[in-house]
Amino acid sequence: MRRTALSLVVAALAIVLVAASSTVVVTGQLLAYESGYVFFTTGDGFRVATGVSIRDAKTGGPTAIAPAPRVWARATFDATGTVTELDLSRDPLPPQGSFADVAHYAVALSSPVPNPDLLKAIETPAPGQTMVAVQSFSGKPVLVTFIVQVPPYTPFTASVYISTDQSGWNAQAIPMDRVDALHYEITRRFNSGTQFRYLYDRGSLQSQEVAQNGLARTPRQLLVTDADVRVIRDTVTGWQDSAPGAVNQPQPQIMPTPYNPAPFPNLPTCLPAPQPPSAHGKPPPPPGCPGGPPPR
Amino acid sequence: MADVPRIVFTTALATLMYALGGVAAVAASPAPAPKATAPPPTTLLYLSAKRLDFFYNRFLIEGDGNVRVRTSDGFTVTGDAFSMDLKLNRFLVAGHVTLHDATGTVSGAAISDFLDFRRIYFVPVTTEPDRWTFLDGDLAHPVKGRVMPDDAFYFPSVGEHPSITATGAIIGTKTYVRFVNAHTYFLGAGAPLGSYVVNFSPNQYFAQNTLSGASVDLTWNLAGNTNSLTAVHLRYDPTYKTYLSVEQHFVGDHEYAILSVNPATRAEKWWNLALYEKLGSRFQIQTFSQYYAQQNWLNMPRAAQQTTYINATYAFPHSYVQATSQLTNYNVLGPGSLNPGTIAGNLSHPSQLQLTATSFQNKIAGLPLYEQIYEGYGFNHDSVGGLQYDQGSNGIPPIPIPGLQAYGAPCANQHDAKNPPVYYCPVYTTIWNTVLGFNLYTPSIKLNDPPSPYQAYYFNASFNKQYQWNSLPHWISTASENFSINRQFSRSLNTYVGYQILNVGDHYINGGYVPCEPAGTSYCPLSFTSFRGVSTLRTTSFGLNLVPTPDFNFSLLVRHHDDYPIPVPGLFGLPPNNILGQPLYSSYLGQAPYDATGDVRFKVWAHGLLDVSRTFYWYGNPYRTQFWQPTFVVQLLPI
Repeated sequence: MRRTALSLVVAALAIVLVAASSTVVVTGQLLAYESGYVFFTTGDGFRVATGVSIRDAKTGGPTAIAPAPRVWARATFDATGTVTELDLSRDPLPPQGSFADVAHYAVALSSPVPNPDLLKAIETPAPGQTMVAVQSFSGKPVLVTFIVQVPPYTPFTASVYISTDQSGWNAQAIPMDRVDALHYEITRRFNSGTQFRYLYDRGSLQSQEVAQNGLARTPRQLLVTDADVRVIRDTVTGWQDSAPGAVNQPQPQIMPTPYNPAPFPNLPTCLPAPQPPSAHGKPPPPPGCPGGPPPR
Repeated sequence: MADVPRIVFTTALATLMYALGGVAAVAASPAPAPKATAPPPTTLLYLSAKRLDFFYNRFLIEGDGNVRVRTSDGFTVTGDAFSMDLKLNRFLVAGHVTLHDATGTVSGAAISDFLDFRRIYFVPVTTEPDRWTFLDGDLAHPVKGRVMPDDAFYFPSVGEHPSITATGAIIGTKTYVRFVNAHTYFLGAGAPLGSYVVNFSPNQYFAQNTLSGASVDLTWNLAGNTNSLTAVHLRYDPTYKTYLSVEQHFVGDHEYAILSVNPATRAEKWWNLALYEKLGSRFQIQTFSQYYAQQNWLNMPRAAQQTTYINATYAFPHSYVQATSQLTNYNVLGPGSLNPGTIAGNLSHPSQLQLTATSFQNKIAGLPLYEQIYEGYGFNHDSVGGLQYDQGSNGIPPIPIPGLQAYGAPCANQHDAKNPPVYYCPVYTTIWNTVLGFNLYTPSIKLNDPPSPYQAYYFNASFNKQYQWNSLPHWISTASENFSINRQFSRSLNTYVGYQILNVGDHYINGGYVPCEPAGTSYCPLSFTSFRGVSTLRTTSFGLNLVPTPDFNFSLLVRHHDDYPIPVPGLFGLPPNNILGQPLYSSYLGQAPYDATGDVRFKVWAHGLLDVSRTFYWYGNPYRTQFWQPTFVVQLLPI
């Protein structure tokens, strides 16, 4: 009996001693400091002692920094959960403590209510059950390789690019590399969670890809989920500026031959224009060329 | 009738095509169209603060001091600090916050509005702090105590210098920000911008533009909103030096209109108008019109020309029909503008219309082979031809081809030309054409089955054949064959070899291309003397790509051309270059027999790549001429 009583006294004494010396320290960024409370960016508000000590986090001395949004602070809580000291800095402070340890000190009139909007923690499946596939976005870098098949009439030396809404639809934002007669490829690193819309083009908005039905196509969308590597395979079925069956555009005084104006714009001027057979021999070269009349 | 400017007809034709498009679209509207989810409505935020900082690379707006936010959702918030991530589409106001709406005013520590989710998280301070969540814009009935996302009140860490500072902003969520009293910074020095708009709309039509290329372009977006953008460009190019241009965008979900004048401060001005409309799910039409005027400011032009491109497409379930047209007037000034001594150009007004039906790409049976066929009809027309009205005047002989092409027998009137005859009749002012062609290709065939994917070889090929028959007795045939074999040696190294044959034949039933004389001279090298309108270009290529990391890329392309006619240095000019200094055409007569292009891309800062490339051309024997591309092509690319 005496031994039990002694044990209880010792235990109570120990609790009192521990409680008397227990201060908790956490660092974080301030959201607000008002009405006798200090709020951190966790959204938690903590009661501030009347004579709270406000110091410079680096020197430990007095500070000209006022507690305000964006300021970093090291907060010292007493045993009752009241903030008794705030050490302030405009620069991030080394992590210290955890807000999980002081969450129960946060003051809130209402009791916590679950939020159905938030994702539930993924639980380990029971034996025999398979894990439900869940897209996760940790923000880690993911290597994303784009491989695109282009139309067979794409010029062999054409440059192919990816334009995205993240680069203001810059038509030359992401240059690709030709890997064979019909495919181009590029690998880029994106953080998981990145979402963007994109289209392929040949270096200008006038040479953007079109849908198989010839109409302007809706931009493709990519949401980068957690993975080490992702491969995106796309097919371009047509280019806006080179539809099959295109015929040379007219130029003044220029007959529509395949050599003028495109794709061969450099026919020498001294090549006589196509002419019908003549009973009088060959026509003279054009003006200015050897054997021809003087230039006009 | 003769007094009606031809531009009126052009406009009328364009209007008619739009009208026909409208009718077609009405007919097409019952076609099945995927139902898109309605995007969240755009919210307008009217923001003011002692100082606002905008960080272009992260699309962040950070504000401090006397923050006031008024929203089109019906409430006003004041506070000490503001933070908004424009891409995540959410904002935060913290410190001595007041929330005011029709139901009253509440004070608090912070408020965060997740606009996309229609959730507002609020930390009110009444007798004590609390946590309220407003659902779906209902500020009268907060859900109290609801657990909030961990990052609801997170301030992003920004250490760099802001791109723009301001004291006010109007934010159209997910679309634009218009800063008021804005300043930007260059080498640490501030430059006042007044009003400046940052457009970050996902709508790709905002990127469409009608300005020609320039060496340097500094853009000042001075006004804009969800559907428009007004920009003044300070530009430099070697022809017009430094000048200003103005461009106006109007953009909708299925249409755009872009108007510009470039250069606006030079006597030679190009007025541009680009229109696009998608009507229903199966029809679209787009036009581009350009009006050239040589005029001081807005005085009476000394010369004026106009050209219009029209492109209309109607989609069928397995094919589509496309109409393309170009209408040009080389003089749109009034009577007397072509008198001697003027610079108004000529009365030539070529036009062209082409109607083409194209199938989808279809797989042939179970084979790894795809086909696509197309057929088109159209005409080219030019009833005048340049300088036609100068025929025989002032001692100037008439031109040989007043219309599109003269072909037939010698004309009775040879305008004093001696034998042999120079002028042929009739003159074809309209040449009709029929086009028929097909594509055949195999995307990728694995040639072996090794244990490692890095030992596999893939083969692909494509073949295109096209005929064009003209009403003038000649026909054009083109054939293109491409073959390539590629192998991925490792994750970072890929190579391929390719072979291409391009045949272009311009065949005349009688006559045609006459020999170039005198043969064997620098004007007429032997292969060119025997040229009769049929060329063959053969290209062997070797390509290599080395990509050890996404931040570094090296590629090499080496080609050998075996062409007919044989290229001769100086005889054929190089094709014109694009704005980057690269040749506009990939195949052309006279290309050097050998060329090699090296391209290196590497990361130079967190959000930018530097791309440097250069091409080496080499003519073999007997010319031995070799030369580098005049300059390195250097580009800065965003990551």
